[in-house]
Amino acid sequence: MADAARSHALQIVGSLLVALAIVAVTVSLVTSRLGPGIDDDRGRDARDRRQERQEELRERREERREERRKD
Amino acid sequence: MEDLVENLANGNVTAVKIVLASVIMALAVYQVVLMAVGWGKVKLPFLKGKPASFAHRAVGDTIVTITIVVAFMCLAYFGIEDGIEHARPGETDRATMHVVAAFALLAALAFKIVVVRWWHRLGKYLPVIGLTVFALFLATWLTSAGDYLLGG
Repeated sequence: MADAARSHALQIVGSLLVALAIVAVTVSLVTSRLGPGIDDDRGRDARDRRQERQEELRERREERREERRKD
Repeated sequence: MEDLVENLANGNVTAVKIVLASVIMALAVYQVVLMAVGWGKVKLPFLKGKPASFAHRAVGDTIVTITIVVAFMCLAYFGIEDGIEHARPGETDRATMHVVAAFALLAALAFKIVVVRWWHRLGKYLPVIGLTVFALFLATWLTSAGDYLLGG
């Protein structure tokens, strides 16, 4: 009985450790794809596009803030 | 709100969202595997159904928390109308699909939680509801983070 409970606990801990490993691997893979280390054209284009989009959004927010101030 | 989100992400809101959404997606795939073991569809010598179901619940709680954070970041920083109206040319459809999939996902996720915690009579439909939630996670990821990472 105690062995079964211990085995269950170990299986749960093991499953959760696998989940942690999945998180670590995913973060590592995605950040390496997004980070400054990207040197393929597709990655560079995606990064440029992303930066452009963030700049556009920032500008629009600034414009909205200005409009609110005027109102 | 926009400033709060921007400060939290240190100015890298999109990148943080992509990482978090990808973590959710990877864990969602793992959830399907865990529940396949939990429901006895897949037999593994080193993992029984009960521990797999318990782990599924624990990982699921984590996924819900991260999903709420990502949804908050998305709505506070990009908004709904802005996201669609100001999408780049040719990307309006993708942005619209993302918004629709994301809201359907939040509704399906809420419904699943209600069924798991309180509405046990509908428990027999949990596999279908779970697979629907997974499909919506996939659709939401493919139309945002996946598009950045895979489509370039």
